[in-house]
Amino acid sequence: MSNLKLASDLKAANSKLPIDPATGKPLPPKAHPGYYPGFSTLGQKGFWDDATRKLIIQRVEEVPPIRFFRPDEVDLLKAVCDRILPQDDRDNAHKIPIVNGIDQRLYDNRMDGYRYEKMPPDGEAHRLGLQAIEAIARQMYGKPFVELGSLEQDTVLKTLHDGKPPAGQDVWARMPVNRYWMLLVQDVLEVYYAHPWAWDEIGFGGPAYPRAYIRLENGEPEPWEVDEQPYAWKAPENSLSGKNELISGTSEHGATPGQGGTH
Amino acid sequence: MIKPDILSKFPRNHLLRGGGEIAEHVREGRFQRSLALIAGLSSILSGLEASYEHYRGSYSRRVMYTPLIASAALLGAGVWAFKSRKAARTVLPVVSVLSLADGVIGFYFHVRGIQRKPGGWRLPIVNMIMGPPVFAPLLFGISAYLGIVAYYLRREDDPEEQTMPRPAHAHSWAKYLPGKIEHENISWRQDLREGRFQKHMAAATVVWSFFSGFEAWYSHYKNNFRYKMQWTPVVIAPMLMAAGVGAIKSRKVAHTWLPAVSALAIADGSLGFYYHARGVLRRPGGAKLALYNIIYGPPVFAPLLFAACGFVGLLASLLRRESR
Amino acid sequence: MQHVDVRMRRYRTDEEVDYCIVGVGAAGGVLIQRLARAGFKVVGLEAGPFWDTERDWVSDEAGSHKLYWTEPRVIGGRDPLALGANNSGRGVGGGSVHWAAFTPRFHPSDFRVHSEDGVGVDWPMSYDELKPYYELLELEMPVAGPAYFPWGHPHGYAYGPHPMGGVGDILIKGCTKLGIRVSAGGPVAILSGSHGDRPHCIYRGFCIQGCKVGAKQSTLISHVPDAIKNGAEIRDNCMVARVNLGKNGRVTGVTYFDPAGRECEQKSKAVIVCGYAIETPRLLLNSACPGFEKGLANSSGTLGHYLMAQAGNVILGRFDELVRMYKAPPAHALTEEFYETDSKRDFARGFAIQTVGPLPISFAKQMMVAKGAWGWGMRKVMMDYNHWAALGLLGEILPWHDNRVELSEEKDKHGIPVAKVTFNLHDNDKKLIEYGKNKVMEVMWAAGAEEVVQEPRYAHLVGASRMGSDPSKSVVDKFGRTHDISNLFVCDGSILPTQGSANPGLTIQALAARTADYLISQGDDVFTSSSRSMERPPVRKNLSPPGTWGKGVPRLT
Repeated sequence: MSNLKLASDLKAANSKLPIDPATGKPLPPKAHPGYYPGFSTLGQKGFWDDATRKLIIQRVEEVPPIRFFRPDEVDLLKAVCDRILPQDDRDNAHKIPIVNGIDQRLYDNRMDGYRYEKMPPDGEAHRLGLQAIEAIARQMYGKPFVELGSLEQDTVLKTLHDGKPPAGQDVWARMPVNRYWMLLVQDVLEVYYAHPWAWDEIGFGGPAYPRAYIRLENGEPEPWEVDEQPYAWKAPENSLSGKNELISGTSEHGATPGQGGTH
Repeated sequence: MIKPDILSKFPRNHLLRGGGEIAEHVREGRFQRSLALIAGLSSILSGLEASYEHYRGSYSRRVMYTPLIASAALLGAGVWAFKSRKAARTVLPVVSVLSLADGVIGFYFHVRGIQRKPGGWRLPIVNMIMGPPVFAPLLFGISAYLGIVAYYLRREDDPEEQTMPRPAHAHSWAKYLPGKIEHENISWRQDLREGRFQKHMAAATVVWSFFSGFEAWYSHYKNNFRYKMQWTPVVIAPMLMAAGVGAIKSRKVAHTWLPAVSALAIADGSLGFYYHARGVLRRPGGAKLALYNIIYGPPVFAPLLFAACGFVGLLASLLRRESR
Repeated sequence: MQHVDVRMRRYRTDEEVDYCIVGVGAAGGVLIQRLARAGFKVVGLEAGPFWDTERDWVSDEAGSHKLYWTEPRVIGGRDPLALGANNSGRGVGGGSVHWAAFTPRFHPSDFRVHSEDGVGVDWPMSYDELKPYYELLELEMPVAGPAYFPWGHPHGYAYGPHPMGGVGDILIKGCTKLGIRVSAGGPVAILSGSHGDRPHCIYRGFCIQGCKVGAKQSTLISHVPDAIKNGAEIRDNCMVARVNLGKNGRVTGVTYFDPAGRECEQKSKAVIVCGYAIETPRLLLNSACPGFEKGLANSSGTLGHYLMAQAGNVILGRFDELVRMYKAPPAHALTEEFYETDSKRDFARGFAIQTVGPLPISFAKQMMVAKGAWGWGMRKVMMDYNHWAALGLLGEILPWHDNRVELSEEKDKHGIPVAKVTFNLHDNDKKLIEYGKNKVMEVMWAAGAEEVVQEPRYAHLVGASRMGSDPSKSVVDKFGRTHDISNLFVCDGSILPTQGSANPGLTIQALAARTADYLISQGDDVFTSSSRSMERPPVRKNLSPPGTWGKGVPRLT
C-alpha cells in the first residue's frame, strides 16, 4: 500500500472522530467515552435484584442473532444506525450493537401498542424505509448508501429529518416521512440507551433495587458514582448531525413519541 | 478547687463570685433545681425534633407519638422539680425513667425500621442514612439522664454540711441484695448526693457523644460533606470521647482536657445550630415553605444535642470524683 | 412481594357469580375488594398477568414494556395520540402499576364546568358526593402530601410529604421567584413512612417501571390481596371479547378467551366493565347485538365519543449545575395555581405544572423532538443528561364529540376488532396549551435554566363512556349504571365527563369506591329488579382494607 493511500485512509478514519476544539485534532477512540471516567454500572450488579441482573447481563453478553432482516438489509441498516448514533468515539471492543436489538424487537413482534393510521406495521415500515434510503442515496450520489462517505450519508438522512426526501416517493406515498424518521431514530435510541455502557457514558445510575439513592438533591453523586469531568468536543467536520434543527413536517401538536417516561 | 475565702473578697453580685458559687454548688452536689430545669428545657429540643421527624415518617405507628408526650412530661416535671422539692423526689425520677425507657423503645423501633427496608442490614450505610436515624431516640435520653441525676442531688438551698448516709433498710427492696452490694449501693447514692460522680458523668459524656457524633457523621455523609465545616462535629466527637475516657482514669484530664474539649463541643454545636437554621432558610422556597424546609432541611436541633453532650462533659469536669 | 396466605377461591366454570368485573386495574381492583368484602361472589377477568413483583418486574426502562398495554390500536385524527408505554396498563393493577402516582383531587369547579365556564358538560354529581371517598382512598392507598393543599377544596393529608429531588427543587425555585404557590412532596400515592408490611419509598425513580418496593400504591398491593382473602377470584391472562345480553334485556355474563386461547363464558348476575378509556368502549362496541346495533348500552350514540387526554407537554431545561433527575420519584411536586379559569386569559379552564423524571431512553426520545437531536448532536446532549431537568404541563383538554374510540378493520390475535382512536385539538385546547407551555418555560427560566426546550405530548386518557343524567347524551348514570341495561355497569376512567388538570387516578379509585357502596346498598335489586334508585348510599368505613385506620396524623381539613 502506498504512503498516499495509507495517509488518506488514516485521514478518512480520523475524519469520523470527534474533535478537540482547543487543538483542532481528532480525539482518539475510548473504551469509555462520556464525562464520567471510571464509572461502571455493571460493576454495581451485586447490588441489583436477581431478575434485573439476569436481564441486564443477558443484554450485554448475549447479542441476539439476526432473524428478521435479510443480509443486504442488515448491512444497510448498520450503516444507517452508524450515522443516527455514531460510535466512532468508542473503541472497537466497546461498540454497542444496535441492529441486532432492532431486529429482535421486530422478530418478536414487540410493538408499542399503537400504529398511526397512515403507517404500515413497524416491520414493514422499516423495510420500506430502507428501500427509500437506498433510493435517495442512488438519486443524490449514484452509489449505494453503504459506499458513501459519512458526510454524504448524513446528507441523505438529513433529507428525512427535514421532511424533504428527493426520492422514494412510492414509499412516502404509503407512510409519512417524518413518522418513519421518528420510528427509526426511536428504535436506535431504545437499543443504545438501554445498554449499561451507554449508562456509564451519560452518568445514569442504572438499576436501583434494592439499593437506591442517598443523595437526592444538588446533583451529588452517590458514593459509588463518579464526579463529572466534562471535556470539550465537537462533532467531526464531515457530519451534519452536530447541529440540532427541529424535525420538520410534523404538526405542532402531533407526532409525539408516546407517553413513556412522564406523568 | 476554689477556696471559699477568696470568693468572699468579691461583692455578692460579681460575675466571678456568682460563677464561683455555682461551681461550689456543683462540687457539693447542691444543684438539683438547676439541673432539673435544664433537663426539662432540653427535652423541648428532643420533643420538637421528634415531632417533625416523626411527621416525616407520617406517624405511621401510634407509638411515634410517645416521644412527644414523654418530652412534654419531662418538661413539666423539670419545671415542677425546680419549684418543688417533693416533685423532684417523686415526679421527676418517674418521668425521667419513663422517658429513658421511651428512648430505648424508640431505638428498638428504629433498628427494626432499618432492617425492614429493602436490603435490610445488608445495605447498612444506605439504610441507616435513609431509614430512621438510629441513635436519635437514645440521644433524647440525655434529658432523661440529667433528670435522673437531678433526682439524687441536693437542692441549692440545702445546708452546706454533709448529712448522714441513709440507713440500709430504708427501702424494702434493698434487703434482698447481698450485703456487699447493699453497702456499695448506699455509697453511690451518697456520692451522688454529695456531688461526687465525676467518673459516671464522664462515662455518660463518652456514650452520648458517640451517639451524637455518629449521627453527625452519616448525616453529613449523606450531604457529601458539601461544606467543610461539616467535618467539625465528626472530628470533635471522638476527641470528646477520648477526653471522657481519660477523665475516668485521671483527675488531671478531668480538669483540663475534658472541660476544654467540652467547651469546644458546645461552641461547635452552637455554630452548627446557626448553620442548620441558615440552611433551612436557604432551601428552595425558603421561609415560604417553612414547615417543609424544617422537615427536610438540616435538622435544626441536632447540633444543639451535640452541644448538650459538651454540657454534660463540662458538668462532669466541675464535679468531685467518686469515693471509690 | 405481597404474600397472600389463603388460596384463591376458584369458581366452577358453569357457576353463575354475582358480579363479573372486566379489567382488574385501578377501578376494578377497588371494586373487587369492596364487593368481596361485602360478601358477594365476584370474579375479575384481567387480560394481563397477575404479577409477582419480585420475579416479573425489573428495575430497567427497556425491560418494562410488558407492564403497558401494547396490543394493537390504531391512532388517527389531526393530532393523533401516541399511546403505548405508560398510557394504559395491562396486568392486575392495570394503570396503577405504572402510574407516577400523583393523586390530586378534582376541584369542585370541575363538576360544574358547563354552568360556570360555559364549556364541556356538568357532571351529574357534585364534588361533595365524591369528597368522602377522596378522604377514604387517601387513607387506603395512602397518599402522602403537604399539611395544607391550598387549591380546589383545600385539605390536608394524613401522611407527611416526601423529600425533593433535583427537579422538585427547580420547580420550587422557579415558582418562588415568580410568586407562584407550590406543593412540595405530594400529593402522591407513595409511602413516606412504612405502612403494614409495605416499606416506604427508597427514592429510586423507577415508578413508571413498576414499584418493586411496594411503596407506590397499585391496587395490586393495596386492594387485591384483601379481595382474595375475602373470596374473590381473579383470572389473569383472560381477554374478554363480549358482554352477552340475555333475552330479557339484561346481561347474562361475558365471553372471554382463557390463557390457552379457548373461548369461555362466565355467567354472572351483573357485569361491571372497568377496562379504561379505550378498552371499555371497544368491548361495548364489539358487544353489539340485535337491539343494540351501535354497540351495547349505546342507545345515546355517545359511546366512544368525548374521549379526552390531557395536554402533557414536557419542558426541559439545562442547568449549569448537576441535577441528576433520575433520582427520586418522577412525581414529587406540583402547582395548581393555574388550574381554574382566569377571565384575563383567552381560554377556558387551565393547567397544572408537575415534576417529571424521564429516564435515559425517554429523555433521548424527548430530545429528538424538542431539539431535533440526532447523530453527534444526540450523543452530545445525552452526555449532558445529568444537567437537565424536566417539568410537565398538565392541561385540561375539553370533551369534544369528534375525539373518539371506534372499531377499526384490523383484528387482534383473538380475532376481536381493534380500537381506532381519533383525536383532534380544538381552539380552546390550542390556546391553553400555548399559554401553559409558555408559563412552564417561564418557570424553568426563573429557576436558572440556561437553555429551555419543549416537547408536545399528551398524558392520561379518560372519557368515551361518560356519565350523565340525560340518557340521550350519556352512557351511564352517576353511579356507573348504564342507562340502557339495569345490570350492566361501567366504572373506570371512561365515565369521566370532564377531566380537569388533575391526574385522574385518585378520582377513578374514589368513584369505584362510591359505586361499590351504591351496589352494596342496592343489594339483590341489582340482580333482579330494573328499578334504579338514585339515593345516595351511606359512606361505609368498614370496607377498607385492613391496616387503613389508626395511622397518620390528624388532617387539617
